[in-house]
Amino acid sequence: MDMYAVRTLRSQPLRLVLTIGGIALCIVLMLFLLAVYRGVADGSVEYIRQNPVDLWVLQKNATNILRGSSLLSMDQIAAIARAPGVRTAAPVLFLLSTIRKGDKVGTIFLTGFEPDKGLGGPPRLVWGRGPRADDEIVLDRSFARKFHFQGGEEVDLQGRRLKIVGISGGTNAFVIQYAFVTLRFARHLIGVPGLATCVLVNAEPGAGTGPIREEVCDVLAGLEAYDQETFLANNIREMRSGFLPLLYTVAVIGAIVLTAILSLLLSVNILERRKDFAILKTLGSPMAFLWGMVIKQALLIASVSCATALALFFPLAQVIERISPEVTTISTAGQIGGVVAAVLLMSLASSFIAIRRLRRIYFLEAFS
Amino acid sequence: MSGFETPGPVLRLEKVTKIFNGSGHPTTAVREVSLEARRGEMVLLLGPSGSGKTTLLTLVAGLTRPTSGSISLFGKSVEEYAAAELQSLRAEKIGFVFQTFLLIDSLTAAENIEIVLRFNGKRRAERAGKTRALLGELGIAYLADRFPRAMSQGEKQRVGIARAIANDAELLIADEPTGSLETRQAIDIISLLHGQAKTRNATGIVASHDLRLREFADRTLRLQDGMIG
Repeated sequence: MDMYAVRTLRSQPLRLVLTIGGIALCIVLMLFLLAVYRGVADGSVEYIRQNPVDLWVLQKNATNILRGSSLLSMDQIAAIARAPGVRTAAPVLFLLSTIRKGDKVGTIFLTGFEPDKGLGGPPRLVWGRGPRADDEIVLDRSFARKFHFQGGEEVDLQGRRLKIVGISGGTNAFVIQYAFVTLRFARHLIGVPGLATCVLVNAEPGAGTGPIREEVCDVLAGLEAYDQETFLANNIREMRSGFLPLLYTVAVIGAIVLTAILSLLLSVNILERRKDFAILKTLGSPMAFLWGMVIKQALLIASVSCATALALFFPLAQVIERISPEVTTISTAGQIGGVVAAVLLMSLASSFIAIRRLRRIYFLEAFS
Repeated sequence: MSGFETPGPVLRLEKVTKIFNGSGHPTTAVREVSLEARRGEMVLLLGPSGSGKTTLLTLVAGLTRPTSGSISLFGKSVEEYAAAELQSLRAEKIGFVFQTFLLIDSLTAAENIEIVLRFNGKRRAERAGKTRALLGELGIAYLADRFPRAMSQGEKQRVGIARAIANDAELLIADEPTGSLETRQAIDIISLLHGQAKTRNATGIVASHDLRLREFADRTLRLQDGMIG
């Protein structure tokens, strides 16, 4: 690294520290948004991913379970189960409900399923077991942490007492968390027997899903059947459409702030050192040499800021997860590499903005 | 660099005029100046403050263009040099000494000299060797790692001279080189500059108001109101 480039920056240590701090915080923000996105993305569709069924049958036009309403009647559920080639048909009922602890009330995405069918339950248990009886419940880990629920405790769900028999992972969709009860209990809760949101279907070995789909879509009116891949894609698309624009907006603001801070520092450096630049120009410095110094300064600041941000990010993410358990962050090497590459690109952009000032530094300034 | 070989005079100005148009009021800084300087010659431009000495130096170095007249540098009209060629010329053939030294305060003495050597593509080891040798030759090796703020005025100007000759300049341009120095330091510095120019057979164009510098010049030209009298 160029001596002049480094020494010029070091000559204003407070400004340098503040700049690196500001940029590092922007980077932390970007890393955090990506980590939250990844956490939400995984948490939102992990339930679907971990329930490997051949078909998801829902009411027509309900393409996903995240933001779609679907109600299947008892007759429809029975007809699906009778369709040719169906080995298992497991109805699942999703509904929003509330759990009370003291004066705190938490909303959950209550999932009623039939434990004996082996489908529709929690994707992963981090403690305990799945619900077997109607007075048992499995809570999401983040939700349990947030409300300080322990396994074996009882919870108050809309006036009913349920025992926590398990804690699940991969069930935090950020804005809401899954909880699992028996289908019978869920139906009892809404007071309408026989209803379900969807039916998870597994075909007989070797039968294929064609005849089932034909029966469901063509014969039974008002239903739609999706294979696992399509249904997963539908839900991911839905999750992205709701969450990504916000993330992108904040990330773009972070990037703009970062570029602005860096451009400002580099421009101020050039203005403060304009006599030095005029001297160097007079002494025969090629413009490329001067540009190189500014670019080196930008890259140096960006690199130190990235290192600072990475040092801050992981402990900070842990603290945030402890304070707000519903925030689940997942960071991958690809994400981090992407942010670092983006920051380096933005630092180059900043240096090009600042470099324009070099053109307006004149030889005669050295003689003034 | 062989592109700037000079068979005739290193520098020739013919009826050069420079008019500045600041704030709509034209000011003639240099008026119909003609001069010539040969290899190894030391020319003193003597004149009071505001007489156009510095403007003339910037014209000589190709840093500004004349309003009228012609300037020939190393046998070629300044007009014919592209901007990049003039930059190369300054990096490889011209050395500058300033009144206020104009060392870069965030660099040590050695680095201030070395940075100029980078402009003409010298490798790191060559730069370091040449810088060390120059500092030794000028008797200021002890300043190598010192920053300008820790040097006396005389020391700063010695480093300034070392920087000016680091590129084996054929043309040394000095703007009031003793202007910020006490009498004894001034004599030391001009002696040094004169000695280095003669040793290297470099042409020196020195602008000053200091009459004592006449004894070091091969030729003295008096400048008054932008004209050579």
